[in-house]
Amino acid sequence: MNPPRTPKRDPSGLRSAGMLLAIPSLLLASPLVGFFLGKFVDRWLGTEPTWSIVGVVLGFIAAGREIYLIIRRVQSEEESDKRP
Amino acid sequence: MGFEFLVRIRRTSLMAAVIGALFTATYASYPAAIGFAAGAAWSLANLRLIEQIVTGLTGPTRSPIRAMLAILANVGLLAVGGVLLAKLPPMALAAGFTLPFVVILLKAVSLALLGSRVWAAITRSPWRAMALVGVLAVAAWFTVVPLTRAQSGDGHARVAAAGTVAGSAAAQGGHAAAGDELEEEGPSLEFDNLVTILAKANRGNALGHFLHQFEAVIFSVVVALLLCLVVWVATRDNRLVPGPFRNAVEILFEPVYDNIVDLLGPKYGPRYVPFLGSLFIYILAMNLFGIVPLMKSPTSSLNVTFALALTVFVYVQYIAITELGFLGWLHHLAGSPQSLIEWLLVPLAFPIHVLGEVAKPVSLSARLFGNIFGEDMLLAGFATLGISLMAVLHLSGLPFGLPLHFVFLFLALLSSIVQALVFALLSTVYILLMLPHEHEHEHEHGAGPVLAKEAHHPAH
Repeated sequence: MNPPRTPKRDPSGLRSAGMLLAIPSLLLASPLVGFFLGKFVDRWLGTEPTWSIVGVVLGFIAAGREIYLIIRRVQSEEESDKRP
Repeated sequence: MGFEFLVRIRRTSLMAAVIGALFTATYASYPAAIGFAAGAAWSLANLRLIEQIVTGLTGPTRSPIRAMLAILANVGLLAVGGVLLAKLPPMALAAGFTLPFVVILLKAVSLALLGSRVWAAITRSPWRAMALVGVLAVAAWFTVVPLTRAQSGDGHARVAAAGTVAGSAAAQGGHAAAGDELEEEGPSLEFDNLVTILAKANRGNALGHFLHQFEAVIFSVVVALLLCLVVWVATRDNRLVPGPFRNAVEILFEPVYDNIVDLLGPKYGPRYVPFLGSLFIYILAMNLFGIVPLMKSPTSSLNVTFALALTVFVYVQYIAITELGFLGWLHHLAGSPQSLIEWLLVPLAFPIHVLGEVAKPVSLSARLFGNIFGEDMLLAGFATLGISLMAVLHLSGLPFGLPLHFVFLFLALLSSIVQALVFALLSTVYILLMLPHEHEHEHEHGAGPVLAKEAHHPAH
């Protein structure tokens, strides 16, 4: 396969839509992972439910950060698409 | 009778054998279906060998050696037939064996009919032909409905026992379980596939257990082998002007290359195309595999999607360590602190970053699994509804359902493509976030990665 000369963008916006579709699952997965990691630490240290709660809170923050990065990425792509 | 006629007979018999085996599996039993298919294969191989013997001895390209080999193969085939007779239901085997002869008979009758004066008289006027079709349809209705009502006791029992379980889906060309063929651990909500059929035929022994346990893995390996075959065949075509197959494969692969290079930039893009491109094509093929009759989407199993996501996770961390160095990787996980305040915030930023990293494979795998599993459930649910409606119409004896799920096949196509794209795209983004800053000049020149700045300081 020969490498293409000029990179082409997907005109349908499917890429942006796909990236935005990642948000709901990320919002769900991060607190869940945080909760289970916290629960593991709680069982280990016998401090239930402190670390589980901390895990959930940190999970939400991590999810927020990831979502912020994704939205910034989509916005930048749209801006670069508009650029001639 | 020319050889084209024999070729057509073989092709028609093969299709009829596949459809007949599916129907037998649905309405009789799995061993009977395997017997039917084996009988048809035996008969077709036999006919082919006889053809070879005849052409080897009498045709213009006669070759006594070929004829002798065909005779020897036919003897071997007889031995195989003997073994099959001992192992499989003899009636089903005999039915499969006679199938090509029935096809020959029907073809001969249709050839005779098409050349007859009666046929010419009927087809001269479209109105006359339509009237005849109408008469035949009415006659079929009055013949089939009483017959199916007689069988409906059995049919209703099957539909009731199946509950929400998928039944036969002849309209989809697929096949699904009836209530009495359920697994011990409860009703399966998906269509039956080749592996589950084999597992049920071997219920209780080690092979059946293995097939049941490794169903998704078997299909994922099959998809991988099929893709290898496709690429191998396509890359063998080294002509200056490639053939249609290679062109078709390139049409599929080039946008993948373009997109990855576009996102990662000309420096890093080509380096990661083999991994990310394979990931996209593999996931797309696995997603679409569920639409193929008697197959299953391996991505409708969380084990497969989690394995894929874990691969991405490990690869991304590996790239980070090789590109940034071990300390650089830790620095990145700590949120790339520069100022004193940022360093003071490291105890908070570090767990957030680690959590974010661990959540990525979980989110990737859960999304892919959820979408593909849901899509398969939707298809199975509507196919079952189509079958249940046949029972409501007192036609449950008929071996097919209303194709209610047909519309959702297009939805499944779209969601398969979008999910493969999302997985590959997010994996690309995760790699991009780990790569060191390429340089911003490329961006200024319009050829570099779009988000070079973010790649430099992903945490901010």
